[in-house]
Amino acid sequence: MKEIGLHGRGGQGIVLSGEMLANVYFYEGYDVQFMPSYGAERRGSPSNAYVRVEKGKKIYNRYTVDVPDMVVVFNTSLLENIKVKENGVVLLNVSGSIQKAKTDARIFVVDANTIALSLNLGTPAMPIINTALLGAFCKVAGDYSFDNLANVISEKIGKNADVNIEAAKLAFDRVREL
Amino acid sequence: MSKKIVIGGNDAVAYAVKQSYVDVVSAYPITPQTSIIEKIAYFISKGEMETRFIKVESEHSAMAAAMGASIAGSRVFTATSSQGLLLMHEVLHWASGARLPIVMANANRSVAPPWSIWAEQTDSLAQRDTGWIQLYAANSQEAYDFLFLAFRTAERVRIPAMVCMDGFLVTHTKEPVEIFEDEIEDFIKIKEQREVLDIDNPKAYGALAFPKDYMPIKLEQNRAVFSALEAFNEMSDKFSDITGRKYNEVDVYGEDDAKVAIVTMGSIAETAHMAVDVLNDMSIKSKLVKINMFRPFPKKALEKALKNVEHIVVLDRNISHGKGGIIKDEVAGSLGLNNVIGYVCGLGGYDVTEQDMVKAVTDVIDGKVKEDSYMWGEE
Repeated sequence: MKEIGLHGRGGQGIVLSGEMLANVYFYEGYDVQFMPSYGAERRGSPSNAYVRVEKGKKIYNRYTVDVPDMVVVFNTSLLENIKVKENGVVLLNVSGSIQKAKTDARIFVVDANTIALSLNLGTPAMPIINTALLGAFCKVAGDYSFDNLANVISEKIGKNADVNIEAAKLAFDRVREL
Repeated sequence: MSKKIVIGGNDAVAYAVKQSYVDVVSAYPITPQTSIIEKIAYFISKGEMETRFIKVESEHSAMAAAMGASIAGSRVFTATSSQGLLLMHEVLHWASGARLPIVMANANRSVAPPWSIWAEQTDSLAQRDTGWIQLYAANSQEAYDFLFLAFRTAERVRIPAMVCMDGFLVTHTKEPVEIFEDEIEDFIKIKEQREVLDIDNPKAYGALAFPKDYMPIKLEQNRAVFSALEAFNEMSDKFSDITGRKYNEVDVYGEDDAKVAIVTMGSIAETAHMAVDVLNDMSIKSKLVKINMFRPFPKKALEKALKNVEHIVVLDRNISHGKGGIIKDEVAGSLGLNNVIGYVCGLGGYDVTEQDMVKAVTDVIDGKVKEDSYMWGEE
């Protein structure tokens, strides 16, 4: 089983991206479980969601994810409070330069803010980056096809799907390992 | 043809209500139930459901309106949680006493104070004695399926039914759920004949009964609640013919000749499957005894499931202060057993993992835990 953490701030579409990710894995033939973490939600406060995926076996775990295998981090300002398994995978949304600290984790970076703003997704204060990050994660995880992701984005987003799929494609192409 | 989609328990309930020819929904929002009634309101606004939605100012009124609609012959649904369910308490007795087959979903949530919105079953177990049928769903598929079974069972015995599911752990946890297209139609469209309010032949409900009348009425009500066991099994058989999914009032997973049984209900029962697998791998023959129906109490099914079991460990995500876990007390008391150890655990949504359960069981086998206890991982 793989546990994936999505970490961002209220208003960034963390819950929707978790739901989309669960659907993508489901269409790839996995059993899936999407568990948003609820508390005192406010715009701008930390917001987390978790996805469990497992191939060929039913998922029975009914408790919150503690330390995920892979994490997608929407803001580097949140890094201090995020845990990932040893030798885990981290996908970061980074604008500007960043240096890798001493860690066993594999770190991937993509500038999702720039991609989103180049497509007029959101505002400079709150760019909409969830679909871009799912595109980058598609490349990083290697578990699902881009077409599958594009279909789920169409299904869940509706009329703005095309531009979101474009954002996902740009991030898929631009994501790199640190 | 049915299809599998990734949805949570609340969505699943809303879909089931949409497909159940419900005439009236009367409800008041409360976390974590809200998305059930939001989704129903959405279906109605889109013209996908021909249902009257009554907006009310409180849960007390929600149940009162549900009663009125049910007395008039409608199939009625409502949903609530925690403090809302507690506010309904008085009217729950009125609804069951009037023999109204209302169906309600309850998102199991802890009771304040301190204020908390997470999973716990103290709210619905505190309604144990209101004369309602109680079903507990462990996952979103069961939440969906139990709704259909609840309508048919409730209407057969003319007793209201609540379908309970743990807040967030079931209500908001999205997973693949098989949703019917139209294959459930023939099953769910049947509404059994019952006496309803008729303005040409007026009748009173809830009139004064003197002692010689009150007791026989209450005994008849009690018999009706008991008869829900048989009705549930009959409906469950029919349901299984359509879906291939068979539910019993108690479901068992694991070794037939187990020496250890974990008894629980709700979402903890999902995780308990894993604990049973771990214990069996450790050569401790174990089984999970999962209570689906808590009222009427499934005494015979539990007797059968727990026969020849050496150690019975009950996991209670609820607390009766000054006594302990409610399920443990009912299992041990009803069956007259003295080999039952209860653990109160998971209050206020606190995580209960399979490792916690394995430790709880091995502590009992090793004699480290000799009386009712609790699970609490923090120092």
